[in-house]
Amino acid sequence: MTARKTYGVLIMLGMMMSILALPARADGKGAIQRYFSDAACKVKATESPSEKRDILNESLQTMSTALDVVGKSASMSPGDAVGIDHVRALIQEKRDELAGRNGYSRVPDGQLNAFANYVVQDMEQADQLITISVITLLLIIILIVLLV
Amino acid sequence: MREPESRPGRGVLYSVICGRLCCAAVTLLLASCSPTLPVQREAQLKEGGLPGAPYSIVCVIHGDGDYLFHDTSGNEYKADEEALAGAKRVAEENPHAEVFIFHQRPRRSLLFLVSQRDGEFYYYRGGRLLANESYWRDQEVSRLEPEVELYIRFRADNRRATVSVFLYFGHEIPELNGTGYDASYPDRAFTVQDLVDGLQGFTRQSASFDLLVLSTCFGGTPHTIGALGPSARYIIASPENLHLSYFDLRPLERLHLSLQDGDMPAFAGSFARQAFNRLTSDIQTAVSVAVYDVERVQEFLRSVDGIYERTLTTVGGETQAGGAKFEHCDCADLPAYALPTIQAGVDVLYRPARFGRSTGKQVHSGWECWRERQAQPATSETTGPGPE
Repeated sequence: MTARKTYGVLIMLGMMMSILALPARADGKGAIQRYFSDAACKVKATESPSEKRDILNESLQTMSTALDVVGKSASMSPGDAVGIDHVRALIQEKRDELAGRNGYSRVPDGQLNAFANYVVQDMEQADQLITISVITLLLIIILIVLLV
Repeated sequence: MREPESRPGRGVLYSVICGRLCCAAVTLLLASCSPTLPVQREAQLKEGGLPGAPYSIVCVIHGDGDYLFHDTSGNEYKADEEALAGAKRVAEENPHAEVFIFHQRPRRSLLFLVSQRDGEFYYYRGGRLLANESYWRDQEVSRLEPEVELYIRFRADNRRATVSVFLYFGHEIPELNGTGYDASYPDRAFTVQDLVDGLQGFTRQSASFDLLVLSTCFGGTPHTIGALGPSARYIIASPENLHLSYFDLRPLERLHLSLQDGDMPAFAGSFARQAFNRLTSDIQTAVSVAVYDVERVQEFLRSVDGIYERTLTTVGGETQAGGAKFEHCDCADLPAYALPTIQAGVDVLYRPARFGRSTGKQVHSGWECWRERQAQPATSETTGPGPE
């Protein structure tokens, strides 16, 4: 019986170690990319421009709130703080453009699908996400899950 | 409570299983640590009967980082895997070429105990895969030494080679510092100079590559083009961000037809045009593809070398301090670079981002510089209500 338990524990440990060995950073950044890609898919699946706009705005606002909460943490490293500030600025630019604020013309109804693709592609190119630590990225993802 | 009589039998069974697991682990360990492990070798390369190789393509694909991207349907791709598939297609579709493909993968360990090789090498000649080996990448300074070794070991006695092409796929190659380029080797640095050192290894037996394709973000800086210049006659790079779907590789298929006349400038222009067309059909962010005639850009590079290197030193110091005071910009936006020679030797294809602050920028000089980060217009809110 003891030997069986030992093998069970070993198998579990092996599985956990294999999971932990995955590149965590890629998963952290990847989860944020998936979040925007999923939002873009929802936008494209919707006919109504106002619904498209709502989906886009909600996804950007949720990310912005998560970044605000994580950015206020006292234990934030200076590098993470700089990365979060830049990503937050990127998100705010997109919210402004969607709404037509701060010097932007409002994104026309007919271009909301293209704008959703733009958000996904611009976030995939955001170097600032790479500078944010794995732990902070995971915190952001957890907050997004809680906020949605 | 006592166990039934079968207990000794189970003990034997456990011993057998343990023994087999140990054997498997030792086998894996030995396989992993052996210096050379040909996974597949279909032919003795030095023997006759193989087609000649008047075209030579070397392809280095960096895959040790965040290379995930999505298409417009939401499908996920890994940029390095896609580039590898494209490079293999190029290799198979070139009956008169030899193609070296190096795929630099993340470091992985089996149960944290047995390190696995972090590079995969493919060698094609005449459209056939002749060798496929896993190998260890540089474990300290990253200067492509293992890749150069494999290249020298496998390359054909290619005195008749007429055209050579080098391709690099990856994230922006840092001009300075470079620590953290490999996600699984966070302390190891990789910079433009390291790539230059690697290229010198590849070009030891030939003067330079005819064409060097830098499939990365921000490849068209004065420092990068200046440093890579001695290793290539023509360079194709993206001065701004480049989407992870990279450049379209299809023009490299059937080189014996597309480069029949040996007109490399025309071929480079056609390659850039096809890459630009494919990117602009799918991508909403800015698209820039530039062809640099290395000889003709020298005058501009000499004129701006001093000022650019001084800026780079400042940017490097700032980056090390953890700040982000600088950002990329078109060199033509800075008075010190707006010289009459800025366009000499550079053909640029540019389309601004469909959205964002730079939609009105209709041209790009082909040269990317650094400037102090410009403040964006004040925002009315941070997390306030939506646009409706």
